[in-house]
Amino acid sequence: MALVHIDALHKHFGSNHVLKGIDLDIEEGQVIALIGRSGSGKSTLLRTINGLESFDDGCIEVDGERIHPHETDLRALRQKVGMVFQQFNLFPHLTAGQNVMLATRIVKKMPDAEARDLAKAMLLKVGLQDKFDAYPDQLSGGQQQRVAIARALAMQPRVLLCDEITSALDPELVNEVLAVVKNLAAEGITLIMVTHEMRFAREVGDKLVFMYQGRIHEAGDPQELFANPQTPELASFIGSIN
Amino acid sequence: MNDISYWDIVRNLLDGALWTVGLSLTAFILGGIAGLVLLFARIAQNPIPRRLAQAYIEVFQGTPLLMQLFIIFFGGSLIGLEISPWIAAALGLTLFTSAYLGEIWRGCVESVPKGQWEASASLAMTHVEQMRHVILPQALRIAIAPTVGFSVQVVKGTAVTSIIGFVELTKTGSMLANATYQPFLVFGLVALGYFALCYPLSAYSRILERNIHGSRAH
Repeated sequence: MALVHIDALHKHFGSNHVLKGIDLDIEEGQVIALIGRSGSGKSTLLRTINGLESFDDGCIEVDGERIHPHETDLRALRQKVGMVFQQFNLFPHLTAGQNVMLATRIVKKMPDAEARDLAKAMLLKVGLQDKFDAYPDQLSGGQQQRVAIARALAMQPRVLLCDEITSALDPELVNEVLAVVKNLAAEGITLIMVTHEMRFAREVGDKLVFMYQGRIHEAGDPQELFANPQTPELASFIGSIN
Repeated sequence: MNDISYWDIVRNLLDGALWTVGLSLTAFILGGIAGLVLLFARIAQNPIPRRLAQAYIEVFQGTPLLMQLFIIFFGGSLIGLEISPWIAAALGLTLFTSAYLGEIWRGCVESVPKGQWEASASLAMTHVEQMRHVILPQALRIAIAPTVGFSVQVVKGTAVTSIIGFVELTKTGSMLANATYQPFLVFGLVALGYFALCYPLSAYSRILERNIHGSRAH
């Protein structure tokens, strides 16, 4: 049984049919790289997996939590699915440590001391153990994104979604974030990432999923697909970004 | 001239100003409480409280304060309620204030970036938890400056209540002007009184605004 099971997923934005029947199975420990042009539906697909976008037809199942179209109670699902955003979205009124602790305290009702220890451990994991008391605006973009990763990890999700997490960063800060993600992949965390970092996708990804006009156009082993794209669309996409 | 001295004028105006302050504070505090209720109704997920609050706000923002006071004051006596000018003034200004504060605060809540909602939702927080721990603390900081700024409007709004006979600064001024035949002097002092009340508030609001934009202000 796959950890994430997506079955015949459809979504419309008004008259625009953005997801046209997505079927995707993701096994535990896999690193999935979702690629494609803007407007191909890759971010929308990612965002449906934790319910930030609703869908019109089909079904998503994550670790036995099944959601249907127009589901409103998404808390159980969201405890299993963590997310890291392009714009970090740290809570600016809280310190890095408080950002990481907040949901474990509020949602998981973890005692304060335990939540604090966990937050410290998570910040250590992303190399920011000395920034516990720093506010987000005192951190660089790369550091903020690493705090955001720690915040998502503290909830001990089964899957971590990454939505173009290096796209808003200055080029010299990209690598520190990718290094953290690479470590997570090595630890066996299941990752689904929308990314434009093709070299990273090729190096770290277990499976490459190329989205084109709302469909999965091509999917498979990253090395093979990059070396030998089966469709002209993927070939042209790879060509356009290299 | 007559037997009203300058000191009498000033003393009476100060008395009137005290009522202006009292009325402003009453309207601001009660209006703030009602404004909070309106805010939560406006941002509720259920459309019924949302629409009710919107209708309320549109009525009170879309009609002159003076008409609202007339309707409360004269409407009360029409249905046999003897409403004193003080009660009518306090009630009218409270309703007026709540409609504006509720709307100002809603704007502050909505100006918190969408990413904050998404991030807290993705951490499995409920709507109430998101509000309590993520959105409202940020909205509160944004709200301080415009709220203090609006208090100036409340102070100036109290002048209208003189028309239904509530004796505050403006009403005291017109009575004194009639008695002394020195309207320019008296209303000059009245204006000075309002300025003395309002200027510190608007200056404070400007400072707050600068602080919020300039630094994190923890």
